[in-house]
Amino acid sequence: MSVQGAALGPGMKFFVAVWIALMCIVGVEVIVTYQHLPPRQLLVWLLLLAFLEAGVAAWYFMHLKYERAALTWSLLPALVFVVFMMDHIWPDAFRLASLRLLSH
Amino acid sequence: MDVSELDATIHAGHAGMEESPYGIPSGKLAMWCFVLSDAVTFSAVLFAYGYLRIGSPDWSTPFTFVPSVLNGLVMTFVLLTSGLTMLAAVEAAKAGRTAAGTRWLWATCALGALFAGMHLMEWRHMIEEGWRLFQNPLGGSVEFGAAFFCITGLHLLHVLGGVCALAVIALGFHRQRYNSIDVEVLGIYWHFVDLVWMFVFPLVYLMNAR
Repeated sequence: MSVQGAALGPGMKFFVAVWIALMCIVGVEVIVTYQHLPPRQLLVWLLLLAFLEAGVAAWYFMHLKYERAALTWSLLPALVFVVFMMDHIWPDAFRLASLRLLSH
Repeated sequence: MDVSELDATIHAGHAGMEESPYGIPSGKLAMWCFVLSDAVTFSAVLFAYGYLRIGSPDWSTPFTFVPSVLNGLVMTFVLLTSGLTMLAAVEAAKAGRTAAGTRWLWATCALGALFAGMHLMEWRHMIEEGWRLFQNPLGGSVEFGAAFFCITGLHLLHVLGGVCALAVIALGFHRQRYNSIDVEVLGIYWHFVDLVWMFVFPLVYLMNAR
């Protein structure tokens, strides 16, 4: 498989369909925003939709689907691990998680 | 080194060079590593903003549907469309169609510049209303301004850098100084900029919609 062959994917018609799907996800985000949900619930919904949108963009637009699986398995677990560490393991995250303000 | 020589090096085990484990040129792998590190940077900023947003009882929600959310929607449309034109540029470049590839690169550059222009106009609108880094004209949390301008400013910096890179690559590709791999590498960066906006728009604009 050549360098160019490894990254070849479907034609532009497919990518236009993906583009339309991404715009639809944005539309759903706007609709969800005006459902008057509590802030935490809204945040969860918007994050889920954002991750879905980002996943579709990374998989198709960034051609991750058409690369070797080794690349995906090298990049994604590292990113997930760092983000998880950032959010849950750092000691400061426990204080922030319960939203206690800094004492001066 | 042109594309065919690179192909041979990566897959044929050229003397003195190892086969790439990912089957991609080193420049492309380097861009993926950069994208990974930049994603972590934006994650840190957005996480901090998220906690501030949820933890502040007096957080302002100044964005009305017209003009702020609508403007954000148009900006999202422009950036997503620029992702599509970038894909067209990469496809044309891989197919050896230099003129078409160059046109699509310039189209992507123009859309990126349009996005940046709209964003700066939005900033001007916010500043005219009294928003500053640590100033809130609505009387709520002063950290709103810092969060808004820092997050969108960091993203805008990436967009402007991408627009400059697009212009350079478009000129170089037209003069056959750069090849399809260079276009593809830039494409990865530009799609990443698009991807970051997919988090910035809902978290910064929609979460603060009135």
